[in-house]
Amino acid sequence: MKELKDYREEIERCVRCGTCRSVCPTLDTVRRESHCARGRLTMIEAYLNGEELGERYLKYIKECTLCGACYTSCPNEINTPEIILSARAEYVKKKGMPAFTSFTLKSLLEPAPLTKLALKVAAKLKSLFFKSTPFESGLVSRFSLPVVGEGRLVPEPADPFFLDRAHIRRLATREDYGRMKVGFFVGCGVNYLLPSIGEHTIRVLEKAGINVAVPQGQVCCGIPALSMGDSETAKRVMMKNIEVFEQYGFDRIVTSCATCGHTLKDIFKVVLSDEQGMKERVEAFTSKIMDITEFLVDELDYRGEKTDKRAGVVTYHDPCHLRRFQGISEQPRKLLEESPYEFRGMKNPCRCCGLGGGVSFTNYELSMKIAGRKAENIKKSGADVVATACPGCIVQLKDALYHHDVKARVVHVVELL
Amino acid sequence: MLSEPVKRELTRIVAPENISFQPEDLLCYSYDATGRRYLPECVLFPHTAEEVSLILKMANAEGIPVVPRGAGTGFTGGSLPLRGGIVLSTERMTTIEIDADNMVGVAGAGTVTWDFAQKAESVGLFYPPDPTSLKVSTIGGNIAECAGGPRGLKYGVTKDYVLAVEVVLPTGELIKTAPGKTFKGVVGYNLTGLITGSEGTLGVVTRAWLKLLPLPEEKRLLVATFDTLERAGKTVIEIIKAGGFLPSALELIDGVCLKAVDEYAKMGLGGVGAAIIVEVDGRREVVDIDMEEARDICHRMGASSVDVAKDEKRMKELWSLRRAISPALKRVGSLKLNEDVVVPRTEIVELIRGVEGISRKRDVTIASFGHAGDGNIHVNIMVNKDDPEEVERGEASVGDLFELTLRLGGTISGEHGVGITKSDYIGMELNRDTLELMMRLKRAFDPNNILNPGKIFKEEGVGV
Repeated sequence: MKELKDYREEIERCVRCGTCRSVCPTLDTVRRESHCARGRLTMIEAYLNGEELGERYLKYIKECTLCGACYTSCPNEINTPEIILSARAEYVKKKGMPAFTSFTLKSLLEPAPLTKLALKVAAKLKSLFFKSTPFESGLVSRFSLPVVGEGRLVPEPADPFFLDRAHIRRLATREDYGRMKVGFFVGCGVNYLLPSIGEHTIRVLEKAGINVAVPQGQVCCGIPALSMGDSETAKRVMMKNIEVFEQYGFDRIVTSCATCGHTLKDIFKVVLSDEQGMKERVEAFTSKIMDITEFLVDELDYRGEKTDKRAGVVTYHDPCHLRRFQGISEQPRKLLEESPYEFRGMKNPCRCCGLGGGVSFTNYELSMKIAGRKAENIKKSGADVVATACPGCIVQLKDALYHHDVKARVVHVVELL
Repeated sequence: MLSEPVKRELTRIVAPENISFQPEDLLCYSYDATGRRYLPECVLFPHTAEEVSLILKMANAEGIPVVPRGAGTGFTGGSLPLRGGIVLSTERMTTIEIDADNMVGVAGAGTVTWDFAQKAESVGLFYPPDPTSLKVSTIGGNIAECAGGPRGLKYGVTKDYVLAVEVVLPTGELIKTAPGKTFKGVVGYNLTGLITGSEGTLGVVTRAWLKLLPLPEEKRLLVATFDTLERAGKTVIEIIKAGGFLPSALELIDGVCLKAVDEYAKMGLGGVGAAIIVEVDGRREVVDIDMEEARDICHRMGASSVDVAKDEKRMKELWSLRRAISPALKRVGSLKLNEDVVVPRTEIVELIRGVEGISRKRDVTIASFGHAGDGNIHVNIMVNKDDPEEVERGEASVGDLFELTLRLGGTISGEHGVGITKSDYIGMELNRDTLELMMRLKRAFDPNNILNPGKIFKEEGVGV
């Protein structure tokens, strides 16, 4: 993986024009120069020059959602999100990671049987820690919990986890793959929290003539670890995924998570390409990755049944990792046109929901303020349902809508097909 | 160095969460779009004019430099804390009120210009000043620098819209320069006009009353290309003289820019000598007639091609040509010496011909584009920043350019101001007595020279 100093030339390309200020969701909320790409790049440059910086440096580079809005609007095409990932990794390498963060990450990313058991026990005891909500199915933490925090609405954990379900285990290989040999990369959001997205993904693909396989042994895509600066763990889980999927010889690997998709397509290259003998393997793996909406529209030309659009009004939120990093914005909208819902756009659909980059965990208050803007725009759209294409965004939007008392359901596009 | 009692008092004025002495924050307020860096000793984020007043009283008594700052997008260093001290950020002063019946908007200094314009638009009103940075820069910063933009030809610049400002003087008094909601007013000196464009050296603007216009109903746009720059320049003059209307924008782009844009965005403009963009706005019935007239003039003047945008989408595509220039030029040279000279409209051709001469004489690439309709041309001298000898030639070209501009009856800055980057040249344009009068004004406002010291004038003259 490139080191922070390898980005020096790119960092120095910043001419301080300030265009990033007009698009950054954190600047819009905090209204301080420390919360935009220009400020963060200046700090990182100073860090590289050996200037004395303290705790606030870490705080500011951690309070970036990595949404990429600065990158796509930058006249000098500076990939600030990638630079920030590298700066976090550099900092952790130098100063180490808090033991608790490190433990939590490791247990979630590479679940040992004991962790799984602990999660299951926790699920059974949930009423002790959480109260249920009447509208959205979810849990609200009663008091400040590690990782979760206080007052956060989280979806009820999957029980059993998606990958552990008997009928999913049976899909580890298929006898007849149908039109194409396709594998499903599940991701943590779907596996632990929103298994229904996984079930619908399989259903919609089967409807379109694809009998998708769900390989066992696949793990987290690695972005949570990398976001926290733990590039070693990230590297390990990424390698593991390549090993698992390589054995199949798939034509395509689909995912229903925008973040996983971006990680599998792009970040794998950033992290693994320099590893001994990995270049070709990484290339082969990443070239097969497709987002489910991209696959359904571009490869399968998906068509729904003709309906009178009476099911309700649906609006769409663009996940940053889908629109900015994968250039996918038309496909999910096309799919919604094929659903029984009437489509109505919202203001600023491509503004970050505030969850990304670990901000939801490093500064929940900031994360929720960013999401609050989104909730307002959703309310104004008058939609009954918000569709998006990322489990992360879904968890965040559910939480934000609950706190702003907006009664709209939040779903993945595939759940409406 | 700020003493402990001063730090405590400043903290008390704005509350601890609105002040920082931390190195990370100081770094973030050390630069602007000039790319230069000067570290302040403290950053303050006041919410009210009263807080600003208390800060300035204290700074004046203690002799601490104060630099007001909006979004830090200036090109001449107006918001750089040259002598350390306090950076006073207006980022928290973001109120907007629109009085639709009186067609006046009232904005806090830190309001982003785009947000203000959008708010006005939501009730059918129009705030025309449109600097390229409008989505980032603030009303306070725009007033301090008297920002302009492409719409200047028809609609004028920031000063033409400022009805009154609430301003804190360097000695701490809080004043309002005019009633605010009247479009006329001649009682006493025109302090509104004096503060506007004073580059934050005479007072800290905290709130502004701004004139609004009815929102034009429709827009039309065309792009015409020409084999020579001369022909394009003459067409610009002809459109204004013979068209019988003022375009809402009339932009000229030279061949160097077009070549760079073509390599960058592949718009098929590689071998073209120059291009102009004409935009008209107004009532639906009128814009089509005006556009037809503009098209006919372009043809009559010998345009190689004329492309009239039929719809919103095409209009955006054609404007993207203009927007692509800046990023495209980055590939021509790593350091851009960006000057914004203005000459009488009839001298544009002469100016650009002279610039070509400078380019040959000094052996540097110079790309020119800009708001030709009002004679304001952005002359970009492109050099490689790692080649000190080339940078020197570039800097010498700046001097040549200013000499040429003044010879043609122009001014060395139409939009960006003097700040620190042009203070060496101010004496070329203003004679001794004029300069001395300006310095006397500065001393009258700021006897202790604490507000934005070292800007506009070279230090010796201020004499305090």
